[in-house]
Amino acid sequence: MSTAAEQSQTAGGSVLDQVGNNIIHHVSNSSLDHPFIQLPHIWGIDLSVSKHVLMLWIVAVLVACSVIIPIRKYLKQDKPQPKGWMNVIEAVVKFIRDSIVQPNVGSKHVDTWAPLILTFFFFILFANGIGLIPVFDLLGVLNRFLFQVPATNDHNFINLLLHGGVTATGNFNVTAGLSTITFFAIMVAGSRTHGFINHWKNLAPRGLAWPVYIILIPIEIIGMFVKPFALTMRLAANMTGGHIAILAILSFMAIFADMFDSTVTGISVALFSIPMATAISGLEIIVVLVQAYVFTLLSSVFIGMAINVHH
Amino acid sequence: MENLHLFGVGIGLGLIVIGAGLGIGRLAAAAAEGIARQPEASDKITGAVNLPLFLLEGVAILGEVFALLIVLMK
Repeated sequence: MSTAAEQSQTAGGSVLDQVGNNIIHHVSNSSLDHPFIQLPHIWGIDLSVSKHVLMLWIVAVLVACSVIIPIRKYLKQDKPQPKGWMNVIEAVVKFIRDSIVQPNVGSKHVDTWAPLILTFFFFILFANGIGLIPVFDLLGVLNRFLFQVPATNDHNFINLLLHGGVTATGNFNVTAGLSTITFFAIMVAGSRTHGFINHWKNLAPRGLAWPVYIILIPIEIIGMFVKPFALTMRLAANMTGGHIAILAILSFMAIFADMFDSTVTGISVALFSIPMATAISGLEIIVVLVQAYVFTLLSSVFIGMAINVHH
Repeated sequence: MENLHLFGVGIGLGLIVIGAGLGIGRLAAAAAEGIARQPEASDKITGAVNLPLFLLEGVAILGEVFALLIVLMK
């Protein structure tokens, strides 16, 4: 253990260090020193547009073009009759409304909360899915070999696009924003059904001996914050973790080739690591779907817990 | 001795995997048994299994995030 660590410390730019930096570079946000659009600080917050903000915009445009506009068009027809792409949207919407929102929130409030949950679902699904498509890397290859732009040119727009990861939901700030919406949605749901005061009273069950409340009330208050925190961590860590696993397995080629100091070893490791990375990419497609499902399911469960209080 | 935290993270990650694996395994076993006994209730069983499965996954992911934090922040 110590020899490898010492080597990487003394050598500085060894392969292990380069691999680690490369992996971090491909999953984290782009550096704040090179944003796409430089904007001023307002109240100490840097408003510059970084890679993940750009990805959020792209996702917003995609969702608008492929979900919102077709639905608007469809609803304007005289006799709504789904065909083509609308069939897909309708199946997804019906699945979410009938088997995620309705059993948890209850049939009385399903129309109130289904729009929010559906928005979550489509946004997270598109943001997760776009992380699997290497559009910018392809642009980078074209840029390097077709347009002959050197990689060190920081004023080239496509070179700027290459910095940072493409999965916006792999950023903890994005998912924290999403689960903040859930946090307030829980309060709004409870306050609308039971009244503002009663919602807070519903946090702890009634009719217990008073010493129990000394322990119970802090636990319930912590639980109130843990729910969105767990949502944040689950989504971001899942999206980051899969990408790190793919990159780490691909990096085995460089690590082994360097360790044995031979190209043949690197190529023979590639025979193992490229099929493995492909398999994990396939697994990632499932993870993308499941995580969008999980976020919506848990959001509707938490909203339903505030509405239908079982104590 | 200064790299001992990596040792601890390795053991901790193993424990997380053992715990999550046991939990998911027990859930899957119970669900499979329930569906085998009563195939018509498979939708309800799947629905009931999903939620604890995802909560369990959340705990495991939290553990992994904290393990990563120990490595990165030392």
